[in-house]
Parts: sequence; C-alpha cells; structure tokens
Amino acid sequence: MSQQDQFREMVESYALGALDAEERASFEAHLAACAECAQAVEEARLVVSELAHLAPVTQPAKRVKERILQEVRSEGTVKTQPRVVPSGVPWWLWAGVAALIVLSVYSTWNARKLQNEIRRLNEQAALEHRRRETLEKEFVAAQMQARILTDPRSKKIMLPAKDPNMPQLEAMWNPELGICLMGHEVPMPSENRAFQLWLIPKAPGSKPMPVHAMMWPDADGKLMHVVEKLPEPMSDTKAIAVTEEPESGSLQPTSEPMWTGALS
Amino acid sequence: MFLAALKFNSTEQVSSDAALAQRLLHRDVNAFEQLYDRHSRIVYSVVLRILRQVSTAEEVVQEVFLQVWRNSGQYDASRGPFIPWLVTLARNRALDHLRLKSERQRRLEEQPDDYVGGLPQISIDPQYEQAMDEKRRAERVRSLIASLPSQQRRAIELAYFAGLSHSEIAAALKEPLGTVKSWIRNALLKLKEELQAKA
Repeated sequence: MSQQDQFREMVESYALGALDAEERASFEAHLAACAECAQAVEEARLVVSELAHLAPVTQPAKRVKERILQEVRSEGTVKTQPRVVPSGVPWWLWAGVAALIVLSVYSTWNARKLQNEIRRLNEQAALEHRRRETLEKEFVAAQMQARILTDPRSKKIMLPAKDPNMPQLEAMWNPELGICLMGHEVPMPSENRAFQLWLIPKAPGSKPMPVHAMMWPDADGKLMHVVEKLPEPMSDTKAIAVTEEPESGSLQPTSEPMWTGALS
Repeated sequence: MFLAALKFNSTEQVSSDAALAQRLLHRDVNAFEQLYDRHSRIVYSVVLRILRQVSTAEEVVQEVFLQVWRNSGQYDASRGPFIPWLVTLARNRALDHLRLKSERQRRLEEQPDDYVGGLPQISIDPQYEQAMDEKRRAERVRSLIASLPSQQRRAIELAYFAGLSHSEIAAALKEPLGTVKSWIRNALLKLKEELQAKA
C-alpha cells in the first residue's frame, strides 16, 4: 500500500477526531501539502456531522434562548451614521464641529467598548458561578452515592433483564438515604425516551408507584443514578422495576418492565 | 462530488442559512434569532447527548451561539453548509467540557452522572417538524447506524459522542486496534454512500 493510500485511509477517522496523537500529527503534516486529502477531509466532515442525528432529539428550554438573546441584544447593533448636509457655515467652524463629532463618536465608542468589556466579565463570572454550582451538585450526588453504597443498612437488589441480551442492573436501597441504581453496558433508550424507575407495593391490587427521575446511561453505557426521595418506604415495597418511558416521565407504566428486582 | 451533492440536496436551506449568517456580520439580531430557532434543537441534542447533564448542556449551547454571534466571520459559506459547521462547533465545545469533567472525575474518584439540574423541557417545534428533508436524512442516518453490528455501532458512538480515539475505543471495547479502525472507516464510508445515493 502506498503512503498516499495509507493517508487516504485516515481521512474519515481524522474528520471524526478519532486518530491517535501520533497519527494525527503525521496526517496533518501530509494534509498541508495534499489538496486531494484536504478536499476529502472537507467531505468527510460533512458525513461526520450527520452523526449528530444519532442524538435523541431534545428541545432546549425557553430560558436558554432568552438568556442568549438578552446577551446578544445587550451587545447592541451597528447603526449607520447620519449624513451631514453642507451649508454656508465657514470651514473653520466645520472643522471644530468635526473635531467635536470625532471626539463624541470616540467617547461613545470607548464607553460602549468598556460597557461590553464589563458585560463580558460579568458573563464570565456568571459562567464560572454556574460551573461551580454544577460541580457542587456533582459532588453532593457523589457523596450521597458513597453514603448509600457504604451504609450497612443499605439493601442490595439485583435486577435481571427481561431480555437475556441486556445487562443486569443493581440497586442499593437505603431506608433513610434513598436508592442508587447502577448498570454497565446499558444501551441508550429509544429517541425521546428515557428509563424510569417504579416501586411495586406489597399491598394486593396496588399500582406501581412512579419515581419521577428519568435516567439515561452515559456515552460508555454506564448507568448510575441516585434518587433520594422515594414515594414508598422500603417496608411497603415488594419489588422495583425499570421501564422505558417518554422523557417527560409517566404516571403509570406504558411499557413492559425491562428490569425487575424483588426485595427478598 | 459528494460535497456538491450535499450542497445541492439542501440548496434552499443552505443559501438561506448562509444569507442569515451573512447578516450577522451587520449585527442583525433577527437573523441570529432565526438561526437559533432553526438549529438550536440539533445543537442542544448533540451537546446533551455528549454531556448528559442539562445545566452544562445549556451552558455550552449558550457559549456556542454567542460564539456564532460574536465571531460571525468565522463561518465561510464557500466551504460548505452552515449546519455541519455549527454542529461541529457545538460537538467540539461539548467534548472540551467532557474532557475537563473527566479530569475532575479522576481527581474526585468515581461519581455519578446526574440530572439534578432538572429535566429538559420537551416541545415540538412545528417549523422544524416541517423540515421533512432534514427529518428523512436523520432517519436514514439512524437506520444505517442501527443496522451495524452492536460493537461497530458502539465504536462510532464512542468516537462521536465521547471523543475517544482509536486506541481508547479498542481498549474500551476490548477489540483489536485494526478492527476498530476498519469499523469506523467502513461505517463512515457506508454512511457517505447512503447519503450520496439518496441525495
């Protein structure tokens, strides 16, 4: 295989960002001198961008648009300066007026620049604040998970899958702290759907109680979810189950349980 | 050429997006709002799929669109349609956040992904739903990837949504490196053929 063929085989993976560092560096060096591969990369990038359609389709909350537009509007728009109509005023007066206009425009521009800078710094601070909040939430959830997993009162519940090709889930239920549901190599639910947890009460004829926390595995298929407030105590529950439901959640199951685990 | 076929396939959308993007150079807020309405859903979907967390995903979507507004000159219509450029920008931003998060995770030991930021609001934008061409493309992409063997599909997902490299994917799936390389290349070539055939 020629060296050109070897590089040609890297095009798709380069566009996807999947080349390892060494291969990427060597391909980029080649790319700088090869118009054919550069064109192929442009095309491959279009193909790669189509993979975006694999993501479950979700509409962002209205607040996101509001926040963005507020920011955009606050940065202002460029306006056309009005044309000055000449008159019979002496040139030196025009020169003075022109100087004043220049000064005024400069001051306005400078003030706007400073305002934008302040806004940008405020936005940066707000972003940092949100990042910190997110980190804190993640930390609290991690702590809760650790407490549930290590507390001797926690009860382990195995949830075998109905489909033998699916992995088994495992739950740890602590009567005081909540429940922690875990799984590996869990496939993504269908588009616009998520996994939902249900508590099956012991009382005869009772309906499954929904837990209003929707779950998705991460990109590696790892499912890890902590629910602190449960609608039923452990003592009144005979089993737990997981179904696939619409992302907004269901009040009663709309599909057969994919995983079920009895509390022995 | 495939590029030409793709451009041809969505000429109206491309020219319209390009025209709106051009208007951003003149700080046209209405043009920006139209671009947001058209494409925020695909951007948010990709970012949320990568980050799996509503609050961070919203933050990244905000960063992406503000970048589009502030650096409108970055998009060059002669190099291709607007959507792939925007989606690539969003994916890169989200993967940057994911990598930062991975660094933190290594320090904080293992911690769960959570959705404590609240559930995403789901609503269907009728204007978007009317974009049948885009919808059909999406269905074709999904059905082709779904038809791949599960390990090959996982390889593509790990590369696109987790930003993993060949060797990282090979380690995660416990498959030979060469196999992973072939899987990814063949899947993308197959997808290219499929889109080309129906363009």
